[in-house]
Amino acid sequence: MQISIKNSMKKLVLFAIVAFSLSSCKKETDFVYEVNDVLVSKEKIGKGIPKTTVEFISIAYSDLVGSTISQNDLSRVTLLYLAFGDKRLIEDLLIKNIVNSPVVNIPTEEVMRNDITAFINSTYLKLFNREPNEVELYTLRKQISENTNITPKLVYYAMMTSDEYRYY
Amino acid sequence: MSTFIPRRNFLKKTAIAATGAFVAPYILPGGRLFAATGNRIANHVVFCLFAGGIRNIESVGQERGNLLPSLLGGAGTVDPIIAAGMDPLPDTPGSSLRSQGTLFRQFRYAQGPTGHFNGHSTALTGNYTLQDLSIKEAPKMPTVFEYYRKHSSPEQNALNAWWVANSLGPYPSLNFSSYPGYGALYGANFVQPLTLISTDGANALSNPITLSSDEIARVNEMRNNFNASFSKTGIFGDNAIVNNLADRDLLQNYIKQQLIDGVAGAFNNPWGAGAAMNDDMYNVFFAEKIIEQFKPELLVVNMQGVDIAHSNFTQYCNNLRKADFAVGHLWQTIQNTPGMANDTILIVAPEHGRNLLPNTIIDDYGQPALDHNSDETSREIFCMVVGPPGKVQQNQIVTQITGESIDIVPTIARILGFDQDIPGGMLPGRILNEALV
Repeated sequence: MQISIKNSMKKLVLFAIVAFSLSSCKKETDFVYEVNDVLVSKEKIGKGIPKTTVEFISIAYSDLVGSTISQNDLSRVTLLYLAFGDKRLIEDLLIKNIVNSPVVNIPTEEVMRNDITAFINSTYLKLFNREPNEVELYTLRKQISENTNITPKLVYYAMMTSDEYRYY
Repeated sequence: MSTFIPRRNFLKKTAIAATGAFVAPYILPGGRLFAATGNRIANHVVFCLFAGGIRNIESVGQERGNLLPSLLGGAGTVDPIIAAGMDPLPDTPGSSLRSQGTLFRQFRYAQGPTGHFNGHSTALTGNYTLQDLSIKEAPKMPTVFEYYRKHSSPEQNALNAWWVANSLGPYPSLNFSSYPGYGALYGANFVQPLTLISTDGANALSNPITLSSDEIARVNEMRNNFNASFSKTGIFGDNAIVNNLADRDLLQNYIKQQLIDGVAGAFNNPWGAGAAMNDDMYNVFFAEKIIEQFKPELLVVNMQGVDIAHSNFTQYCNNLRKADFAVGHLWQTIQNTPGMANDTILIVAPEHGRNLLPNTIIDDYGQPALDHNSDETSREIFCMVVGPPGKVQQNQIVTQITGESIDIVPTIARILGFDQDIPGGMLPGRILNEALV
């Protein structure tokens, strides 16, 4: 009888241990930590409105020639836009022509090389209507300094055929 | 051996997989088994929209004489009543197009308003437009250019697809549609030469800055940096086609050269037609320049000078002769262009006809003018398919009512070998097999 009680106690203790183990063996919860979607923008440039064809032509002309394009000339160039399907191509060709025109008001190479920082600042203000940030200033200054074949015309052409110049 | 697949099943699946791997590369999206370009009849198609509204009565019916000697052959005799109103033209070059192909005398523009833009849209999309179109919108259904560029194998660039229009207005929008999955990405190079290759064009576009390859590299480097600071791109979005950079250079040089040639007087009297050279002829002339320069696989060119018929019947006949001369010249140019000679099929068709009954306007020769208001006569047109022996049935005339405007796109697709790749239900027309060998 004593043996039986001892056995019963043994079993009870074993049961208690097993029951405790089972109850404490809870499945671990997997927590997944997420972050909310954040719109990462390349810049803080507040330009969101694309220029119309007419705006693009008249602004480009003003930026380079320093005067307003006549209504007749504006109409003629607008028709040229319509006459070819690849608008980027025509726009590129148009800027190449305006930049190459003898009447354009682009600083000389000497002016640019004498003070590259001032040239970049004034060109950004003129064409992008803002000052360059430090990275932009550093990058372009480095490019101009290291490449003697970069002329003011090339800088103007590159800026005026960039995505930013197409917006205001 | 995995216990998840019984050995018999494993072998079966392996065999299927091996077969699939062997066959899969040849199954195209349209369900066709072989590459599209492997089944072409010819490698080039030129489609001339002989447009502006032309009645069969004056064209193939020859009621006012033979106004189409290039197309139909024979002497260009004209009704004496209106003969004095005809401008002299040089002799028609070469033999008649009819002898080199098949003429469908009773073709039909069967449905939809007989408007010029509707007719053009139908011819280029292979679908009738059953209501008035918005002339400021791209077609709803894909154009032949999009089918060609998207479904050819391999895909073709825009330099191979051209839409050469004689006027602006709504016509620039016909180089691609708004149909989902097609659009500007597969559009044609559109050009309206009479505006672009002009004095205004020369003033604005003929003197670009010339850049060395090193300068181009510097410009690209700077531009890439500018663009890296700005998040918005694609200003023209889906509203314009875009050529790749290499093709863009070719095209810019081509435009520049045309402008320089124009300033130098090269286009003053290019065909020896003198004062008779009208806008239609110039439009075809510039299409020929594109053919010579780029040898496109698909080019569509139109003429619309005959629409003067609204107010002047005699000049309608005069311009019909000029359009005929232009098509003859176009065919000669194709045959003189290496790479396109003997490998090009030319399709000629008006977009619609004109009314049986005249309006009240009488010209200097006492002839009443003609409108086009969707009567039965204004739906009667012709179609000519011209090409080398072995590709096109020669010297054949189909006299019974056969073929419609909507059949031209499927026929072009068949010639260029992508007809089977166009999804079902897009094109209600049929291939004009009567004309093809």
